[in-house]
Amino acid sequence: MRHIAASPDFREGFTEMLPACLGLVPFGAVCGVGAAAAGADMWTALGMSMIMFSGAAQILASQLLAEGAPFAVVVLTCFVAGLRFLMYSAAMAPYLKSLPARWQNALAFLLTDQAFAASIRRFDAKHDPRGGALHFLGGGLALWGCWQITNMVGYFAGNLIPARWSLDFAVPLCFIALVAPHLDRLPTIAAAASAAFAVFALAGLPMKLNLIAAGLAGIVVGTLVDFARERWTAR
Amino acid sequence: MDRALTLWAVIVIVGALNYLSRLSFIAFFAQRQMPPLLARALRYVPAAMLTALVLPMVVVGAPSVATLASPRVIAASVAAVVGYFTHNTLATMSVGMAVLWGLEAVLR
Repeated sequence: MRHIAASPDFREGFTEMLPACLGLVPFGAVCGVGAAAAGADMWTALGMSMIMFSGAAQILASQLLAEGAPFAVVVLTCFVAGLRFLMYSAAMAPYLKSLPARWQNALAFLLTDQAFAASIRRFDAKHDPRGGALHFLGGGLALWGCWQITNMVGYFAGNLIPARWSLDFAVPLCFIALVAPHLDRLPTIAAAASAAFAVFALAGLPMKLNLIAAGLAGIVVGTLVDFARERWTAR
Repeated sequence: MDRALTLWAVIVIVGALNYLSRLSFIAFFAQRQMPPLLARALRYVPAAMLTALVLPMVVVGAPSVATLASPRVIAASVAAVVGYFTHNTLATMSVGMAVLWGLEAVLR
């Protein structure tokens, strides 16, 4: 283990992730606050951040459970929000092909929005699967460690944070930071716009089913626009 | 179901589903190409799903002139522009929070 932590690639990945970790401090804290509001004890809150390890899924689960949504709706909504990991997994697979299964299993667990963005950049920049994997591991562990700390801070100190700081606003901002850079292609814009329309149009649906319905509507519209545009440019 | 038990069931099941999604193409389908239709559809999951999650957190209530002219909507819009041009998470979040605090201070 020590030789891994001592490698320059691991250290580079770890330190390069620290600014992103800083940005996740309010998000992690809000997740901890959400877990407390959903009635979780300390170990359950820790289980959420350690095992689910996904801000979107944790927030959704806490909110839906606090509102009394049925179990199946909670699981389904979290699963659809987590479908983006399939895409990350597919994009990452070619770079991890040559690694032992142990490494693949560990890195897959650490595959988050931020870790994906940082490591795909590194894999693209240098043709070095081992170094890239160490870099990924460093960044992934930095995120995972920081996530546990910030979640616990939110869980225990959440009620000390003044409401007028509007810390909960960090959650939508974090998602906006993920989405906004990709709104430069027509199908992506169409996907976001139709999801936006649907989430309000279907706001009357019970159990926040409008979230999942709007997400699916956006995916369908984005895909159709993508096909249509391809047809159009092929002519 | 008891609250603690429900929470743990959600943690284990969603945790497992998320892990299987993360592992899918890295481990199980490593030798296989993703079906082209699935690859195309998955490209729009983040934009569609995250937009659907974000908007109800920013717009309180049904969209109208009153709810759309709120500090949160303005701050989120400015943050989106910053994110679009800088691709920088920290800059997007800092500007968004700063705009929100500024507007709330002025309007108070």
